[in-house]
Amino acid sequence: MPKRGGRLRNWKPNDHFEHDDRSHSNNTRRVSFKTNTNKGKNKFRSWNDASQLLLDGDIDMGASGGQGPNRKGFRTRGGRLGSPAPRPAARKKFIAGLLPWYQVIIPYGAKHEKDVILRVLLSYLSPDVFIPHYYKINGNAAVFYVDDVKIAEKLFYADRKIVMSDGFKLVVIVRNSVPNVVIDDSMKEKMKLAMAKRYNAATKALDLTKFHADPDLCDIFCALFRPMIMLAAIDIIAENIPDLEALNLNDNKLHGIEHLKIMCPKLKNLKILYLGDNRIPFLGSMDPLKPLPLVELYLKGNPMVKRFSDHDIYVSDVRKKFPKLVRLDGVDLPPAIGFDVSDEVSLPPNKQWFLIDQGGQTLVRDFLTQYFAIYDSDSRQPLLEAYDETAMLSMASTYLTGDMRNAPENKLNAYISKSRNIMRITERESRRRYLKIGKLQVVSFLSDLPKTKHDLLGFAVDLPVFTPGMIVLTMNGVFRETNVNGNPTRAFHRTFVIVPNSNGGFSITNDMLFVTNTTREQESKAFSSGTPDQPIVPQPAQVVQAPVVPTPQPALHDDNQRMMLNMLGQQTGMNEHWSINCLQETGWDYQRALFIFNQLQSEGKIPAEAFVK
Amino acid sequence: MASEVIYKNIDNACETAEEFTRVFYKQLDNSRHLTSKLYLDTGLLVWNGNGINGNEKIQKFLMDLPASNHVLKTLDAQHIKDNLVSNKLTYLIQACGDVTYNNDQVKTPFQQTFLVVAIEGKWKIASDCFRLQVPYSN
Repeated sequence: MPKRGGRLRNWKPNDHFEHDDRSHSNNTRRVSFKTNTNKGKNKFRSWNDASQLLLDGDIDMGASGGQGPNRKGFRTRGGRLGSPAPRPAARKKFIAGLLPWYQVIIPYGAKHEKDVILRVLLSYLSPDVFIPHYYKINGNAAVFYVDDVKIAEKLFYADRKIVMSDGFKLVVIVRNSVPNVVIDDSMKEKMKLAMAKRYNAATKALDLTKFHADPDLCDIFCALFRPMIMLAAIDIIAENIPDLEALNLNDNKLHGIEHLKIMCPKLKNLKILYLGDNRIPFLGSMDPLKPLPLVELYLKGNPMVKRFSDHDIYVSDVRKKFPKLVRLDGVDLPPAIGFDVSDEVSLPPNKQWFLIDQGGQTLVRDFLTQYFAIYDSDSRQPLLEAYDETAMLSMASTYLTGDMRNAPENKLNAYISKSRNIMRITERESRRRYLKIGKLQVVSFLSDLPKTKHDLLGFAVDLPVFTPGMIVLTMNGVFRETNVNGNPTRAFHRTFVIVPNSNGGFSITNDMLFVTNTTREQESKAFSSGTPDQPIVPQPAQVVQAPVVPTPQPALHDDNQRMMLNMLGQQTGMNEHWSINCLQETGWDYQRALFIFNQLQSEGKIPAEAFVK
Repeated sequence: MASEVIYKNIDNACETAEEFTRVFYKQLDNSRHLTSKLYLDTGLLVWNGNGINGNEKIQKFLMDLPASNHVLKTLDAQHIKDNLVSNKLTYLIQACGDVTYNNDQVKTPFQQTFLVVAIEGKWKIASDCFRLQVPYSN
């Protein structure tokens, strides 16, 4: 509340709140002994009073502060204690609340049929009509909600004016209050259906005008001005129509829209936004939406628009926030004169796999398949075979920034307690201790980590180094913990340095692991491609299939050089003579040889004879 | 003593990682036109699965990326057995944190692993694998 108070205290009363009758009202309270005598009302009033205070910083604090004791005094004197029937003073005035939702309570309303009550109220208010939302019986009372301040005021003054068939006057209590609602899966499903009905796939437009009044949602209070509901709605949109281009939120009684900023990363294509006939107080309230690439915006009918005495200034201020705007409040804007700076640059598209050498594809696939088959099994002990005698391993772990999920399954204690994050672990001794050296230590460390199942199909795999002497393999992906309650998913990033061993196989010499929570997006897509046992490698764009060269072998220094030679030949398609030349000139540095080849090749400097075999 | 050599390597790898990432991300975020100097001329950048070979191309690729701001949260480093990379001192460095692009408010977690090699008294990046933490399956 302090935050809200700070913001609103500077408000000038605008037309919505102009009939400032509070002081008068407080005066009448003082002379009327019958005011505020019902005890039920006591607990309801606090919010209402608070909002009045917020609306006008000048209000006499004493009046409000004194209200509590006064009430008690009245009660004892008035002798009305225990009477559930409120007796508002005849001269008491209606006070508009911050939000245009009002609860209407009819004590003893349960005695009458719903139809009877509504009929008498409607005929009393005639020619005005209203929609009673969420009508229900609560104990003896009938309770419903209205969403219109004028109707609320008229109902307020209808108190004890209508004589019912049983001779009693109908008591009507009106208070500023918003219906309660719990967002659960069934609620989300209902919202989703109501939204699907309002979506136009051809124009990628979603019309959520007056959403709470949707006939399919009449039994729940699904008002978008409540942040929780708005966020749920945005989640549904992001999940089902992430490429939404137009969104109409007209007439939803939106007030604070700070939380709408979540649309910016989620609805990147949103170009048209209607926010008309809401209660957005300031143009500054729009700031969180600035990253949206809006070309059309509708703000008419919000208090912020009336703050501007000069319409041109309003237009220019809105355009400063949304420079791409070509249409505002239904009017085409004259083209703005800008500067020739390029649009914000976007990121290059992602690719799931990168292999420096397509020849490594089979090896990488087999390696990952075999490694994670063991890693995800009941015992990780057989991994001893995969590690070099002096292999080393370290792991770092941290939570996601700003992640508000704090269910037990989101805790990363199993990792963070062993995390070798050298930004935090600064002492040399500790840094050495957290680094596991030797395959026994490594596998024992891995065995103590939670049991897992990796989403191999979802792996992003990079193979930046693939030479005869060394392979570096980096992967990003998601795994599920299988022996932990809730089977949470985790995201990981891992790098293996792999070298050929003396048995003709390969051993890991370095293993570096990072573990964190999955983002919501990762969580929803995890294991979505099924769970086969090996990662899918995209078909290589071009595989160089060089035939085996049956030419006399020149003397080579060792097997390593022979391997490099074969690989270079396979990868470049050059014959052995040229391959040897290339390697010799680069001092048998395979990476460099390949690099020089690519460079010369792209410049067209390698003669055709180099490829003749 | 062999173990002393190992200890020295462990300590140096960590200290190099601290210094290296300080320089690297400062350049990448603030003076990107100089960043490619940190790569070997045959260096490799793998950016979200896009491979870029050679530091001239890396420079061009980096210049085309939107303005960025990287904030590191974890850092880890290991040394690689000397005889693997032409007998030159080589460290494996893993840096993880959040990145924002175009000065907007959205922080995306990223993970990045470098292979750095000491060449003529300078640390150079032999390979650099950068991945945003997003789903990759199709």
